[in-house]
Amino acid sequence: MKAQDVLSYSFGAIKLRKLRAGLTTLGVVIGIAAIVALLSITQGLQATITRQLQTGFATDTLIVSTGPGFGGGFGAGAEGRGTANSGFKLLVNYTDKINDMANVEMSMAIIQRACWVGNGTTNLTTTIAGVDFAKYARIYSSTFVNESGEIPLNPENQMIVVGKRISDPWKNETFFCNVNDNVEIIWTNATTLPSKNETYTGNVAAVLKEIGGFGVGGPSDSSVYIPISQAQTFFGTDECNTIIVKLTSDDKATIDSVSKAIKDAFSDQVSVTSATAVLNILSSVFSIIQLFLAGIAAISLLVAGIGIMNIMIVSLMERTREIGILKALGMKSRTVLLIFLCESVIIGLMGAAVGIASGWVLANVVAVVFRGGGGTFMGNQAASTGGMTITPLLTPTVTILALVFGVGVSAIFALYPAWRASKLKPVEALRYE
Amino acid sequence: MRTIVEAVDLKKTYVLGKVPVNALRGVNLKVESGDFLAVLGPSGSGKSTLLNLIGALDKPTEGKMLIESVDVSTLNDSQLADLRRRIGFVFQFFNLIPRFTARENVELSMAIAGLSKADRRKRAEDLLGTVGLKERVNHKPAELSGGEQQRVAIARALANNPKFLLMDEPTGNIDSKAASEIISLIKRLNEEKGVTVIMVTHDQRLASQSKKIVQMFDGSIVQEVVN
Repeated sequence: MKAQDVLSYSFGAIKLRKLRAGLTTLGVVIGIAAIVALLSITQGLQATITRQLQTGFATDTLIVSTGPGFGGGFGAGAEGRGTANSGFKLLVNYTDKINDMANVEMSMAIIQRACWVGNGTTNLTTTIAGVDFAKYARIYSSTFVNESGEIPLNPENQMIVVGKRISDPWKNETFFCNVNDNVEIIWTNATTLPSKNETYTGNVAAVLKEIGGFGVGGPSDSSVYIPISQAQTFFGTDECNTIIVKLTSDDKATIDSVSKAIKDAFSDQVSVTSATAVLNILSSVFSIIQLFLAGIAAISLLVAGIGIMNIMIVSLMERTREIGILKALGMKSRTVLLIFLCESVIIGLMGAAVGIASGWVLANVVAVVFRGGGGTFMGNQAASTGGMTITPLLTPTVTILALVFGVGVSAIFALYPAWRASKLKPVEALRYE
Repeated sequence: MRTIVEAVDLKKTYVLGKVPVNALRGVNLKVESGDFLAVLGPSGSGKSTLLNLIGALDKPTEGKMLIESVDVSTLNDSQLADLRRRIGFVFQFFNLIPRFTARENVELSMAIAGLSKADRRKRAEDLLGTVGLKERVNHKPAELSGGEQQRVAIARALANNPKFLLMDEPTGNIDSKAASEIISLIKRLNEEKGVTVIMVTHDQRLASQSKKIVQMFDGSIVQEVVN
């Protein structure tokens, strides 16, 4: 029998039982759609996060902090754990010690506190970061860049630099503050009892260009920057949150050797995080998440496969006599096997195609819902998050894999019924009622 | 005359539950080209078993079933399938594929034999014309009477130029008027086109139309009569 005749015979058999074939196909559609949707969302999320981190990060920097640090649990700074209890404090002038190390170009301390800023009518919750403007601008030369005004290299105490989302928190040109405006900075000092609000008036010297990233370690759209000396006075402390170290190179050897040198210098009481390490950790975390989600989705495909097998066995029973006729007319067992497999593969192929399409639609719907949710979150919290959008990513690999998987599962689960059909004895099959 | 079918001391034993049933107890038979043979006998006499063996649907327990001098027992599954393509089966219950039209049913046996679409279509229509169903080619079995369905089945059996027609009670399931039409069709095919016919029946009237009657009883041939 010619291949096209086998195909049209199988197709005719499917068409005869449309509802049944439709429901069987639906099983495959759901399985494939789940896989495609989950994978394209996670891949899109990974791409977004990686991109945002890369804008917020400089690859030739290290972040020194107390405690486990960003992603510390995964190894990079695991040794730093528990230091909070040991009374170790990271002080602003420790930068001197780090500056003396080999392969270090410079370093700078950051003091960060949660604060409010007020313009007389509105208060915004935000983060104040005390930094050395000149060094910060050199380390993050692509992100700590003024959109308007001028970043003061030798700032006076009241001068501040604000992120784009502080200047325009609602993204609608209703400005909270602009260059040369005065802004009230309010910090709740909880080190005294009872706690009291400390305030001073800052003057906006510059507004940063929109960054769009998370700004881990680096500048963010939703922070207010004040001179480090002013931060020390205002917050009444010499203790800093992090020290940013700029290296002479971003190769792995340099990153590793300086990381080790810093840890050694502070007797392992600090954690050192590198942008590269964080990105690596992130990508391995995402691989695990993807595998996990794909695994869950694969279960639904497995269920679909069992559905196919079930339906094929029922179909085999119903068509025993038909198979007997075909064999009496001289059809070979191989062709009978092929007809049954072909039916299942057609179902698998249709299911996979529809599944990929609906998975992609589903992923986009989820992305839109997520974006909408993120938008209101942004509105309430003003400038507190970077505002993340996920663009689902459907790679050719995922598409092909889904197709192969759908067809493969259908074929594998049809093997047994098809084999049984092919092995039917013509005399017995013809006698079957 | 050329011998087409030859049974040599043919035996067939079934095991039903635990009891062996001797369906055939040593049958010797020769069918020659152009013959019209009727196998007559009561139910349980082994007619159908003999028919299944002649049709290469089953293999004998003992003895030889020779079709054009080829021993069926020596053929493998695939070779048996090839052989069946050249045997024109006609069943008591027609055994048409319900979802196919008359023409598609006739085409099916040619499709199995690997004929191209254009060739089969033309030949299917010719054959349906031969059996008098020119106007019914696009009807499905459910839209045809029993007699018409059996004529479609005969057209299908003739499609691959069979060595012989093998008929199992061809009129057993249709009314007497249609039955006599089928009988005259079979006779015409045998006389005019020289088609060899082997027919199993317990219909005395139908058997009387044949050239030769083989009477079976209890798994053996008890009488051979030339009409």
